[in-house]
Amino acid sequence: MASKTTPARQAFNQGLWSNNPIAVQVLGICSALAVTVQLRTAIVMALALTAVLAGSNLVISALRRLIPHNIRIIVELCVISTLVIIADELLRAFLYDISKQLSVFVGLIITNCIVMGRAETYALGNPPWPSFMDGLGNGLGYGMILVAVAFFRELMGAGNLLGFQVVPEAIYGAGYEDMGFMLLAPAAFIIIGLLVWVQRELMERRK
Amino acid sequence: MSGPIRSLVFTLVLCVTCSLLLTAAATGLKSRQQANMRADRQKNLLQSVGLVAPEEKLSAAEVQRRYDANIQHMWLDSAGRIVPEGDHQPTDLPLYLYVKDDCVEAYIVPIDARGLWGEINGYLALESDGSTVAGFTVYRHQETPGLGGEIEERWFQENFVGKRITNRNGEFAAIQIARGKVSEVVAPERRANYVDGISGATLTGKYLSSGLETILTRYEPVAVKFRDNPTCPSPAGTGG
Repeated sequence: MASKTTPARQAFNQGLWSNNPIAVQVLGICSALAVTVQLRTAIVMALALTAVLAGSNLVISALRRLIPHNIRIIVELCVISTLVIIADELLRAFLYDISKQLSVFVGLIITNCIVMGRAETYALGNPPWPSFMDGLGNGLGYGMILVAVAFFRELMGAGNLLGFQVVPEAIYGAGYEDMGFMLLAPAAFIIIGLLVWVQRELMERRK
Repeated sequence: MSGPIRSLVFTLVLCVTCSLLLTAAATGLKSRQQANMRADRQKNLLQSVGLVAPEEKLSAAEVQRRYDANIQHMWLDSAGRIVPEGDHQPTDLPLYLYVKDDCVEAYIVPIDARGLWGEINGYLALESDGSTVAGFTVYRHQETPGLGGEIEERWFQENFVGKRITNRNGEFAAIQIARGKVSEVVAPERRANYVDGISGATLTGKYLSSGLETILTRYEPVAVKFRDNPTCPSPAGTGG
């Protein structure tokens, strides 16, 4: 199977599933706790991180032969934060409303361990195109978990999805209550734990 | 080139490149960004007195037009007296008036309170009775999205409308963010001074409450003047 797929496609698929950044590499957990209270913020974060991850992998991979080995981490950090800040500045000048929504995520993206992790383990040793695809795959793999966690947290914690009420009033009338615990960070830990379990179980079966 | 020298040269080139890029972005885009920010502030100010609907999309020019037509800006000293234009001290208080048909409908107090992660900036509009809240908006904050970040959402801001900064006896009481739903956690006689809190964002609520209290205390001399001399006949249907 591996012989038929290109390295780029393989990199993409691995990020999405068999080497999923949250479920397998266990990276990016902190932001996964912070932004999964609502589905909407989870989706915004997933898209923003995917764009940054693909861009930073591309740049780091293009520079990989130039970057001196002993200072590579600080170089990666420098490249990533420059990219993110410039993107934020451009948004604030031309798409102000979107920038207001995203600005709070900027700090969470720069410090996201997935961005550094992929630059370290993949982009530094592979050509730009597969690195770009690796960024996309990992970003979407991260986003997939984020959206799944946010789905359960928003549904069970607030009775809403994407801000619209989905649990009917009649059920509240019958004595149902939202689970306040779902809105707190520990709930995200538990859901992520359960998802990791399910994902690994499915991976075992496939073998 | 040997290892350490090469690293140094690379670092130098990288730092210069990155700082040039950042400087170019920051200075080149500054005027556009500032214009956007000013329009956004004005829009929020108009929204706090209901001159812009929450979801309304407006051009910067239209925001400016409505602002110029309805809002007056002035400075007051700490006793609430008007300071002549161009003569104000750093300690004076900025105040905005919503003037309609030559009478003051509402006055607007700029809010800068501490939040959990950074400053919270917004506007609190009070009706000309000097007590009833006409609206509350936030145009800038750094709270966590989905938790403290809810302060920018409509449900939270609409929560303030009709609340009071005075208690039943007409004494100053400020306005507090409750830890939960007002109807569940606050005694009935004090409910007018509380708004519903945000679950999972107790600290944001705490900081915003104390920020509002400090600011409203500073503006209390202004509020007293409005309470003593109502400027307009109060329109029917408000105040609830």
